Amino acid sequence: MFVRNDLLFLGLGILVPVCASMLVFLFVDAPPLRATELFFEGAFGSSQRMGDTLMIWVPLLLASSALIITFSAGMWNIGIEGQIIAGAVAASFVAREFEASTPVVLTAMIVAGLIGGMIWGGLAGLLRVRGGVNEIFGGLGLNFVATGLVVYLIMGPWSRRGIASTGGTEPFRPQAWFPTLDGLRVSPLSVLLAIGVLILVLWFLSRTSYGLRLRATGKNPLAASRFGIRTDAYLLLSFLLAGGVAGLAGVTQAAAVYHRLVPSISGGYGFLAILIVLLAGFRGQWILPIALFFAAVSMASFQWQLQLGLHSSLGGVIQGILVLSVLLLSGYRAISYMRKPISEEGDA
Amino acid sequence: MSLQLRSITKTFGPIVANDSLSLTIESGEIHGLLGENGAGKSTLAKVLSGFVSPDSGTVELDDEQLKLSSPSAAVSSGIGILHQEPLVFLDFSAVDNMLVGSPRDGNHTKDLAEEHLLKICEQFNFSIDPLIPVQKLSVGERQQLEIARLLWLGARVLILDEPTTAISGSQRENLFQTIRSLAEAGMSVIFVSHKLEEIQEICSRVTVLRQGRIMGTKHLPCPTSDLIDLMFDRELEPQGRKSSDSLGSICLELCGQKVTTHFESGKVDMTFRTGEIVGLAGLEGAGQRDLLRSIAGLDDTVTEGVFFRSRDIGDDSYIHRMQYGFHYLPADRGREGLVDGLTITEHVALASPQRSIATDWKLSREESKKIIDKFSIKGTPESVPASLSGGNQQRLLLGLIPDNPTVLLMEHPTRGLDIESAAWVWKYLMSLTEEGTTILFSSSDFDELMTYCDRIFVFFEGAIIQELASVEATTERLGSLLGGVK
Amino acid sequence: MQWKHLVIFFSLLLFVVGCSDNDETESVSSEASEPFKLGLILVGPRDDNGWSQAHFEGASHAIEKVGGEMIVVDKVNPADSPNITVPQVVDDMIGQGAQLIIATSDDMKDGILEAAAAHPDVPMIHASGDSAWTDGKAYHSELPMLANIMGKMEYGKMIAGCAAALQSDTGRISYLGPLINDETRRLVSSTYLGAKHCWTEVAGKSASDLKFNVNWIGFWFNIPGVTLDPTVVANEFFASGTDVIVSGIDTTEAIVEAGKRASAGETVWAVPYDYEGSCSEAPSACLGVPYFNWGPSYLDAIESVSNGSFKATFQWLGPDWKDINDHDTSMIGFLKGDGLTSENSKELDKFTKALGDGSLNLWTGPLNYQDGSSFLGEGESATDLQIWYMPSLLEGMDGPAE
Repeated sequence: MFVRNDLLFLGLGILVPVCASMLVFLFVDAPPLRATELFFEGAFGSSQRMGDTLMIWVPLLLASSALIITFSAGMWNIGIEGQIIAGAVAASFVAREFEASTPVVLTAMIVAGLIGGMIWGGLAGLLRVRGGVNEIFGGLGLNFVATGLVVYLIMGPWSRRGIASTGGTEPFRPQAWFPTLDGLRVSPLSVLLAIGVLILVLWFLSRTSYGLRLRATGKNPLAASRFGIRTDAYLLLSFLLAGGVAGLAGVTQAAAVYHRLVPSISGGYGFLAILIVLLAGFRGQWILPIALFFAAVSMASFQWQLQLGLHSSLGGVIQGILVLSVLLLSGYRAISYMRKPISEEGDA
Repeated sequence: MSLQLRSITKTFGPIVANDSLSLTIESGEIHGLLGENGAGKSTLAKVLSGFVSPDSGTVELDDEQLKLSSPSAAVSSGIGILHQEPLVFLDFSAVDNMLVGSPRDGNHTKDLAEEHLLKICEQFNFSIDPLIPVQKLSVGERQQLEIARLLWLGARVLILDEPTTAISGSQRENLFQTIRSLAEAGMSVIFVSHKLEEIQEICSRVTVLRQGRIMGTKHLPCPTSDLIDLMFDRELEPQGRKSSDSLGSICLELCGQKVTTHFESGKVDMTFRTGEIVGLAGLEGAGQRDLLRSIAGLDDTVTEGVFFRSRDIGDDSYIHRMQYGFHYLPADRGREGLVDGLTITEHVALASPQRSIATDWKLSREESKKIIDKFSIKGTPESVPASLSGGNQQRLLLGLIPDNPTVLLMEHPTRGLDIESAAWVWKYLMSLTEEGTTILFSSSDFDELMTYCDRIFVFFEGAIIQELASVEATTERLGSLLGGVK
Repeated sequence: MQWKHLVIFFSLLLFVVGCSDNDETESVSSEASEPFKLGLILVGPRDDNGWSQAHFEGASHAIEKVGGEMIVVDKVNPADSPNITVPQVVDDMIGQGAQLIIATSDDMKDGILEAAAAHPDVPMIHASGDSAWTDGKAYHSELPMLANIMGKMEYGKMIAGCAAALQSDTGRISYLGPLINDETRRLVSSTYLGAKHCWTEVAGKSASDLKFNVNWIGFWFNIPGVTLDPTVVANEFFASGTDVIVSGIDTTEAIVEAGKRASAGETVWAVPYDYEGSCSEAPSACLGVPYFNWGPSYLDAIESVSNGSFKATFQWLGPDWKDINDHDTSMIGFLKGDGLTSENSKELDKFTKALGDGSLNLWTGPLNYQDGSSFLGEGESATDLQIWYMPSLLEGMDGPAE
């Protein structure tokens, strides 16, 4: 009976959001079928579009990998945007200051981004563990600080010569760009990096003793401490690791997408990734397709604007509706499961 | 006027909290409800006051059947309950608290409430300023306010649920005085308590509950031993385990330190020997748990002078003490003992001292299979705690105890286990003591305490009131000590 | 179990990539006798009542004349659309058959250069850029089809500055600047030159009583959390005694705030920017608006693409002095606002006429930079290069120059 219910919910989980999006299209006077067609065309219609979709997929994957670490430790890492920015800033520093061959510069940028993100994540962790500041508020505060820092750098010390614009820094030297294949904008290196990191994170969490302790801390800190786990240390560890991984997203954004530092370098991908991880129900393997789907909607919304003349914010609306309907469904599902035993008890 | 309960039954899942209870309470009577923790007194009080609806059974007041669907329905039917610490809105004034939850009609205005409160104050010698914020009142005064409120709303039956737990001695006298006046005025009072002395002092009759059933109703005063007979099962009177000669050297010493709960503090000076089993008896919350947690290093109620094999470990944390072989098994297995969502294999991996980065899951799985076999756990290595019964959870926790523990601290080691499993667990625990483990455990099971302990400490209201060698312990002795009677 | 999911997922991915490559060839081949397709990339929303709307309406006007179609993507900037880059937009527009692409922001410079390098044979225009200026500092000879169009807004700004000085009682004029670069430095300097001239020569007041102040928000429009909030900046201006704000940003915060204060009884005004219709936000507080009329130049560009004569030219177009508000001929216009008194309106017409007939050239020495060093000697006139690449602000102006 439970299996049938699961299938029913899976079916509804696909059907309801799709129907809801169709209604949105009808509401804005767009042909739903054409819009659907454009969704596939826009996101996967050519190898280049496929590549562009992957380009959005990369930071989403990295940010999701980061978040699954902190979620495993029972923490809401709202500071992820700031951690992405910190990684991008650190990588940009390397790109601006060190002149060397591509492999050397890129390696240095990746290491720097990792460290930058870890510092920012570690700050949120320290605030939580030592300062007793809820990680949500600490993270939000650090996000503002990170944005402030990046704007200061772009307007001040790293500004273009004779220019003071928040538009961004001078593009990096080509040595500091992630290499691409001919005709594609996405760098295979960044895709490999993102997938590799996700696999590494999942391996760490599920296979290692540290990952196990971290998960135990997240699921029940009280019981975990009875097992002799220093839960504070593991909370901090989760923030350090998550920050480092998020910092890598900053590296790819700076070195593979913008090739410079811009104020909105994190692109809101950190927040989007929170939704992805929630939808994936913290199961790592689902992150891949869900993140791809989100990337595809982002690409498709550009096509909807381009070809159907729809407003550019429609993609966000569709994403929001999808998330809401899936969350509503899973909430409804949880409630219906909870109800069952109670009514049975009442009958007996 | 009389209150009649007919066949009240209430179950929570497999637990029968009230098993077909029938009872009559006359007007002007102060009727005691006595029983140990979990006997079903509180559930009955909640049924009468509308907080819990019974599975079956009826309540009649003056031959009229009452509908007790909610607390407010109960109050308007004439039954009011006074909780240990009355639920009040701390920022509101006394008179506003009376208005909250009162029916919105012309008879319940602020002026009338104030008038009523002043009248009650005069009648019972209370001194409550109607306009004072409630947070400035003591718990005793809040009880007085709550009584005034319930009377104003028309209560004719008053239930007091362990009312003396949180108030001082003089406030207690005041409360008892009030209760007596209310009874003289014709009200029915139900006085719920586990304290034998109080019941003897104030009640005219008492009904004793045990495991959800009425064991008997007695007119008071009567010999306390009669009440204990009703409260506790005394079928078996086994002998003490062994003499203290066979015990090893001193393993753990507590000296000169304080064990504090929120009522009383007392000096404790005790030593525990290698291989010794010490039971901590007492009602829930009497202080046994605080002592166990203090020795474990989880609470700072014991702040100084904890010696393990002559070494001062007072400043060491639980994690540190674990390295000396200390181990603590909490009563709340689901919340504090096991990590829900992790499998048995993962628990085994957590408990084993592993320091390499990659866990050897094969080994952990083998190990968990062994534990499942050895402790007859009904589950697989992939089972999660939520899928295990309470007994199986406890077996798992026992299985997770590291090898060769020196000091084992346990709350209710066999609660929820059937007799056979309990016997098996104790066989296992005793085999540990043979190898030099010292065991301290709390329990409310007299048989368990008398059968397995070398010594028993009895706790009452935060202090140890008696130390017994196991040969001195009888059900009657323990029962009266638990009720605070030496 | 996880790994199985991974394998399935990547097989699907490969499958999709494999399938998708087939139809790429089809989409390119069908365009021959269809109507003209123009691709327009805007930095802000198409209805911003400012810079982006001016481009949108100019391009609409032009495309209507030739009976073509227009593909518009707006809000192309990293803050609004983090996952869309200019080269990506250009690729897609070309994929859809666009024959001419117009990128309309200074901020798109890197992107359009990259796109032009990727599609060297597709006609493109970077409005406000200088990549096609053979004499310029950033000439890209390798991009034969990337042209530039910009208007000589310096004249519009001079008129704006003059209107502000004529109407101001306090002599405190503030300039709401976007970001700092060559373009914005020359425009704010032009405003100052116009203001100074009309304050001293027309109104006959003392130069030392004129306070001209500029503050920069950091970008062409408000990005919350990143730029300064122009609404806040505008109110700070007014609070510190300014009675006229001249706006240099893409959006209308200055005129909106001036309108609010004016209707509350204060005697303050603003001069908005870019779009002809922007006075409508608060007509009575508006002294007029210098605006771009992109229609004619975009029409020319479309026609030159159609007849095959399109080249990477640099056009820096001035007003049609016969009638600067002629929509068919004048690149730059100035529409006077209701807030301007009729007396000042007449003076402003005289000033405009003098600019037009060449009798008045405000870019004439002696002029010093902000730091006191000499920009133009006595009687010396600035060249186009000197004006375009304005390195600093002028003496007499308050505010940062970089």
